[in-house]
Amino acid sequence: MSAVPLQQENRVRAFAEFYLATARAAIAVQFQYRTANYFYMLGMVAEPVIYLVVWSSVARSSGGAVNGITAGEFAAYYIVWTLVRNMNVVFGAPFWEWRIREGELSGQLLRPLHPLHHDVAYFGGWKVVNIVLWLPIAAALTAIFHPTVHPSALQIGVFCVAIWGAYLVRTMFQSNVGMLNFWTTRGAAAFDLYMATELLLSGRLVPLKLMPGWVQTLANFLPFKWTFYFPIESLVGDLSTRDLLVGLGAQALWVLIGLALLRFTWRAAIKRFSAVGG
Amino acid sequence: MNTLRVAALYLKVGVLNELQYRVNFFLNVLQALIQVATGLIVISLVYSHTPRLNGWTEPELLSLLGVQILLGGVIHTFVQPNMERLMEDVQKGTLDYALTKPEDSQVLVSVRNVRIWQLVEVISGLTLLGVGISRLQTSVGVLDALAFLVAILLGAVMLYSFWLVVTTGAFWVVRMEHVLELFEGVYQTGRWPVGVYPGWMRYGVTFLVPVGFAVTVPAQAATSRLHGGTFALAAGFAVLLFAFTRWFWRFGLRRYSGASA
Amino acid sequence: MPDSSSAVRVAGLSKVFRVPEREAGLLAAAKSLVRRRTRDVCAVDAISFEIGAGEVVGFLGPNGAGKTTTLKMLSGLLYPSSGDATVLGHRPSQREREFLRQITLVMGNRNQLQWDLPALDSFELNRAIYRIPRNDFRPVRDELVELLDVGDLVRKPVRNLSLGERMKVEIVGALLHRPRVLFLDEPTIGLDVTMQRRIRTFLAEYNQRYGATVLLTSHYMADVEALCKRVIVIHHGRILFDGQLAALADRFAAYKTIEAVVGDGERISLRVPRNETSQATARLLADHEVHDLTVEDPPIEDVIELVFARESAE
Repeated sequence: MSAVPLQQENRVRAFAEFYLATARAAIAVQFQYRTANYFYMLGMVAEPVIYLVVWSSVARSSGGAVNGITAGEFAAYYIVWTLVRNMNVVFGAPFWEWRIREGELSGQLLRPLHPLHHDVAYFGGWKVVNIVLWLPIAAALTAIFHPTVHPSALQIGVFCVAIWGAYLVRTMFQSNVGMLNFWTTRGAAAFDLYMATELLLSGRLVPLKLMPGWVQTLANFLPFKWTFYFPIESLVGDLSTRDLLVGLGAQALWVLIGLALLRFTWRAAIKRFSAVGG
Repeated sequence: MNTLRVAALYLKVGVLNELQYRVNFFLNVLQALIQVATGLIVISLVYSHTPRLNGWTEPELLSLLGVQILLGGVIHTFVQPNMERLMEDVQKGTLDYALTKPEDSQVLVSVRNVRIWQLVEVISGLTLLGVGISRLQTSVGVLDALAFLVAILLGAVMLYSFWLVVTTGAFWVVRMEHVLELFEGVYQTGRWPVGVYPGWMRYGVTFLVPVGFAVTVPAQAATSRLHGGTFALAAGFAVLLFAFTRWFWRFGLRRYSGASA
Repeated sequence: MPDSSSAVRVAGLSKVFRVPEREAGLLAAAKSLVRRRTRDVCAVDAISFEIGAGEVVGFLGPNGAGKTTTLKMLSGLLYPSSGDATVLGHRPSQREREFLRQITLVMGNRNQLQWDLPALDSFELNRAIYRIPRNDFRPVRDELVELLDVGDLVRKPVRNLSLGERMKVEIVGALLHRPRVLFLDEPTIGLDVTMQRRIRTFLAEYNQRYGATVLLTSHYMADVEALCKRVIVIHHGRILFDGQLAALADRFAAYKTIEAVVGDGERISLRVPRNETSQATARLLADHEVHDLTVEDPPIEDVIELVFARESAE
């Protein structure tokens, strides 16, 4: 009647099973809530569509292109944006606040598994629903705004990896910001600052090419660009093979940096949590 | 008359409640600063590439942004918290508590919560509007100011009506929490002149989701570019929308009582 | 070294919380923004006890006595301020996987299952989390489902279940990994009498079958009477009593109740001081024609109430 012994050789398989089971549960739940999910995604579409019409309007009034970007290219950028934005929805700081406030964390801590696994797996599964729901949105936007895009096979391949890279990079950094909630009930302030910085430095607001030079340089040294600008450009831009591979490498590097940081912040957070209680 | 007294009382309790959470004030100041800063950055970015956007100059657009933030502040303070509560109540079945009170149900569900700290946005919006107007060549008269006030009120009525119609949908579709994101997303369209949007979208944000009407008309009044005809149209539309909302709320309520019986 | 026969061992365990102190008024509020005044509250105050493997122990006390805090320390959710706790030879606060795999914590007012999915799917998730081999999982699950009679409930989304149904399903989920130690915090709270009884018999059965150790808090004395031979009474973070449930009355109840049927079928009920019971009985038998006679301790609820009342008066 003793607990099931842990067999080392089965560890990988056990993890795979856990990820699969969690992702499947997420898909089942989120598919039930497809209407709510659609509202959410439609709300998100408003933002890029606004940017798109504004910049198309600017492009038209300045002779067809802004900094060499045509209306069609803007359309391509912002349509792919909508998918990348969805990939960037992660178990982030606000969820951590909820998790601590509602006592859900206690349940997670009773399990012999780091909650990060649950978060990555659950939102990973949710993404599958998002991607399926996104396809008709993308089709509609394409019909309306006529994007110009001619990706190569390599670009498509890199893009398919890069969107999941973006998902992981953002998960790591958002989880780190989420840890602040263990010390303050106003973690929202840090989250807002993060979002504002991201808006400007990630390529979410405009293609980074339109930003002043120093902003572009700054963005090169921060994680944000690899969650928006890079995945979008990998499909619609004219990055060289080298740039594409370097980009994937940069994503991997930022995931590792975020993970290392999280190891540290998580330990401190748990120490704090078990000292003061939920 | 009693209805008004009840509403005032609820507001008072809401304000007292909010005063306990003073830290929210600092949080909202921070959010307002971020909002204004990003708004300004976007506008300066656009105007670094073009002198005019759809016929609007930079100061004019600044005024528009000011009005959008101001009106957003009004909605966030008085309307949104009530609508969120309403959705939650429908979901948890606790709406019955409100419905069993001997008072107009629509009034009750619209005044139960208030987030006064969100009024910070009204201040930041007014500031932007002031800066925008001061950089305009034309002068703004008393009549314009009066028209502006009325237009803001009409805008608030339109947005409230839209919110309540959508929230009433919770009687049919129980899980609606993402509607908030939908509204916030669509509300952002109000930062830009309605004219930049392609034709079908322009009608959408004017009549379907009356953001264009609600924001652009006051902005035109403040920059003394409002035509009497547009003003009359906005007023008529606001009244019509409000009447429809009232009918739709009752319709939804009938359906709710039927379903929960 | 932990004694192999004791599953839970607690020595001088304390938990102190630091809580902000706030005065009313705007000025005080403004001050508290700058400098926060705090106060230490001792939720659990140097308690010690031991629970043997396979024992079922009732953990009693009024709200805020420190029961939940203790359970949280024992399940690794809270770090003790001082003292030692050992569960199955592990220190809970280290949260080792091997430890977590062998315990479970069920809170009557919390839900750990996926709200929108049938419980079967959540069970599948737990299988993955606790790495239960498929071959072991099925029989355990089916057995639990049968014991609690939830065969058709596990196929419905959890949100559609009633409170009691949900609790039963919740318990199945919490026991799939065959924990050796069960911490149960108010497992029958808010349930109707039938459902309470059902869960009670199940827990007794589970304990008998697998020899699991159970530490249970409940406000329903019926739970405690049915399940626990031994109780630990805690109040203001301190242990007031630790021993056999039967001995609780001996210790705290000052009186016994004598019921008798006398003469022409008249029923009488006497409340007499504990140490005078035998004399009173003897006198009753001598003075009257007695048809039937019972001597009883007062109901356990009354005893417990007495314990807390006495403690508060001191």
